[in-house]
Amino acid sequence: MVGQQKYYINGIGIISPQRTFGHAEFLTHINVYDKNVLNAVTPDFKAFINPVQLRRLSRMLRIGMTASIMCLRDARIQAPDGIITATGYGFLEETEKFLREMLDRGEKQLTPTFFMQGTYNALAGLIALSTKCTGYNNTYVSKGFAFENALDDALMQLEEKPDQNILVGSYDEAAAVQHVSGLREKHYKSEHINSLDLFKTQTRGSLQGEGSAFFDISGSETTSTWCRIQDLEIVYAPTHDIKLASLLSAFLEKNNITPRDVDVWVNGVSGDVLNDSLLSSLKNSLLQQVPEVRFKHLSGEYCTASSFALWLGASILKKQMVPEAVAFGSPFPEHLNTVLIVNQYMNKNYSFILLKK
Amino acid sequence: MQQTIEELTQELRNELIKQLNLEDMLPPNFDENTPLFGEGLGLDSIDSLELVVLMDRNYGLKLKDPKEGRHVFYSIRTMAEYIHKNRQPV
Amino acid sequence: MSQRVFITGYGIITSIGTNRTENLKSLIDGTSGFGELEVLDTVHRKSLPSCEIKHDDRQLRDLAGLKKNETGFTRTSLLGLIALQEAIRSAGLSKEEVNTSGLLSATTTGGIREFEKYFYDLLDLQQQGSFIQFSDTANPGEHGERIADHAGIGNYIGTISTACSSSANAIMQGARLIRHRKLDRVICGGAEALSKFTINGFNSLMIVDPGHCRPFDVSRAGLNLGEGAAYLVLESEEVVARDGKTALGELKGYGNANDAFHQTASSPEGTGAIRAMQLALESGKITPDAVDYINAHGTATENNDLSEGMGIQTLFHERVPLFSSTKPFTGHTLAAAGSIEAVFSLLAMENQMVWPNLNFNNRMPELSISPVRKLLVNTPLKNVLSNSFGFGGNTSSLLLASA
Repeated sequence: MVGQQKYYINGIGIISPQRTFGHAEFLTHINVYDKNVLNAVTPDFKAFINPVQLRRLSRMLRIGMTASIMCLRDARIQAPDGIITATGYGFLEETEKFLREMLDRGEKQLTPTFFMQGTYNALAGLIALSTKCTGYNNTYVSKGFAFENALDDALMQLEEKPDQNILVGSYDEAAAVQHVSGLREKHYKSEHINSLDLFKTQTRGSLQGEGSAFFDISGSETTSTWCRIQDLEIVYAPTHDIKLASLLSAFLEKNNITPRDVDVWVNGVSGDVLNDSLLSSLKNSLLQQVPEVRFKHLSGEYCTASSFALWLGASILKKQMVPEAVAFGSPFPEHLNTVLIVNQYMNKNYSFILLKK
Repeated sequence: MQQTIEELTQELRNELIKQLNLEDMLPPNFDENTPLFGEGLGLDSIDSLELVVLMDRNYGLKLKDPKEGRHVFYSIRTMAEYIHKNRQPV
Repeated sequence: MSQRVFITGYGIITSIGTNRTENLKSLIDGTSGFGELEVLDTVHRKSLPSCEIKHDDRQLRDLAGLKKNETGFTRTSLLGLIALQEAIRSAGLSKEEVNTSGLLSATTTGGIREFEKYFYDLLDLQQQGSFIQFSDTANPGEHGERIADHAGIGNYIGTISTACSSSANAIMQGARLIRHRKLDRVICGGAEALSKFTINGFNSLMIVDPGHCRPFDVSRAGLNLGEGAAYLVLESEEVVARDGKTALGELKGYGNANDAFHQTASSPEGTGAIRAMQLALESGKITPDAVDYINAHGTATENNDLSEGMGIQTLFHERVPLFSSTKPFTGHTLAAAGSIEAVFSLLAMENQMVWPNLNFNNRMPELSISPVRKLLVNTPLKNVLSNSFGFGGNTSSLLLASA
């Protein structure tokens, strides 16, 4: 969408396996994991959610609610005009609890709480309830496209009506149940590794991560603006590297830039030797000259990990610096104006997100 | 030997706190006569469903009609009295 | 920017028919799909009758034309694929057109039915067996990719899950993509298979009627669950004109709002319902008096019918259009309800009929309006509203117009 309308990220709240909230410095202290599961670092929820509400919330709902509240506080708004959430696997822990009870009790004497907490739109509904937001409300569950679909939806809403705040948020948890299926599907490495060594391995699988990231997106700039979202595109199952490169080339051209104009490339390689091949190919071709950062050794891999990448890209533009912990490429320019995120999930869901200062 | 109403109220108090995650939100004067719904403790419709299951699982009592529940679940005391009168083997 | 969005084809499978023709016949005959469960293995098979599709998965696989080596299709995916195939056929789409389409699907359960069936095996890495084909199918987005892959849709894929309003939101989002000129064509809808998870989940909320549901009736006692799928092919005004396609209807408007009242209940005044319907009318640029029929959400829960009924009364004042709930026919098909009922709305307009609200006898005291009780024929319908309201306060309304 190269229309007239501009889209601003005016607030962010993120809870992840790294210290990404509060007054933490920008990725100076890194959490390292060695069992292939990167669990989120959480704040004291009581500082964000009142006890009456808190008691009914599962762990992931607390994380998601808190991230959304952090975002609203950062954006300095009381309530958004619309709420769009995204997840790949939803609240698996709660679903598992309900299923276990159901199976163990022979489908008798079941309580509703786990069932309710397991619905995919529970978080979007809760945020609407607590902010009294009666506006647009939607939840995407399209695996590795979920967050991009949500973002796309928000940008279209803003194109129709720029003068509003749309809250877009992701959540995915590192559920034990999913780790089992992940091992079978080669989503996760069978051998335990140190998370910082992720990109040195030449094996299948990545690390299981989790987190929730919320963004306040608006058609107007404010004093709390982080950066602009220039454009976004999704590509489904590109069959070879040339196709991906030509689509990316066309995407950049549509936005009147070439790879040379990109200051930082946020690379969504996951440490899986097979799934990373198309992106690695880009590194040797179209994006050869573009300084690169990576993030999945810090966030882990999950369906909505591109939300972590969006926070990273926005932070780089806002703070005008690239933390050493993510730098994987040549020296970065002094002035950082353009960030390109190219992410992939399981070599099926590819996305390009272009950010501007 | 059957439990006394006092024993039941103590047991129910502990059960409720556990089942409904009430530790952090008990009002200071909470006792067996505090209304559970509305003004007193402020439980809601989901909690009432949890209580229905609790009655079934722990005391063998099936409340089919939500309106019947309204009287039974008025307070811990009324719950204890109901159980004391009607309990079935689980 | 904004161009009109037309419906050029659709496909449907429910407990009252495996395709459009069968569904239409059942609607006309007043035949519902309600009965004891025969395919799903649950302790509630007799005590919580539902609207089940009486084909087992093997038969559904045959209907979908799957080869033996095409494994890993959950029941939700099978239902989705069957409806998707009919939609593509009915719109007469070429292979190239399918390939450049987008797919927006919706579900609340995805492969939960298979997950619960093989639960203990799936969680034990030592176990091997044919159940492995369902190793990663529980998540809702999986079915969307699977049926898109099989049908050859490769341009844009999205899956939505907002409880009972899911497929209505999928249809809305498809229209939005077309209006913003991102795609010329989007196939939108939803799929939902029955599962022990949903039957027990809804039962734990005590909103399931062990008898046949009675929407808007004073004695209503809850919903019946159902399963099914439906997809609509949406195409832009430009493409329809350019390629001389036949429009079966128009998606004239839509509204999405949130009730923000309670996690699992709607406000008694129907605030969310009113807002969603109002937004649909506004986006379609018509006034309430231009609506000829409302296909209500009408789940027959005490709460929904009160909320929706009040909402309809308030919004339409004296001129309340004909309205009925078709859920006694199909049961509540959860995520698929929006698209299934959109198809029923299109069928109503095509045939100039209004579907009856089965099992209605006595009006609710809070309302001054009653739904249509018997099938109406020779009733021209120009504008139809289709409502879908769900948990989490998600309220959605689609405004469909005759071709």
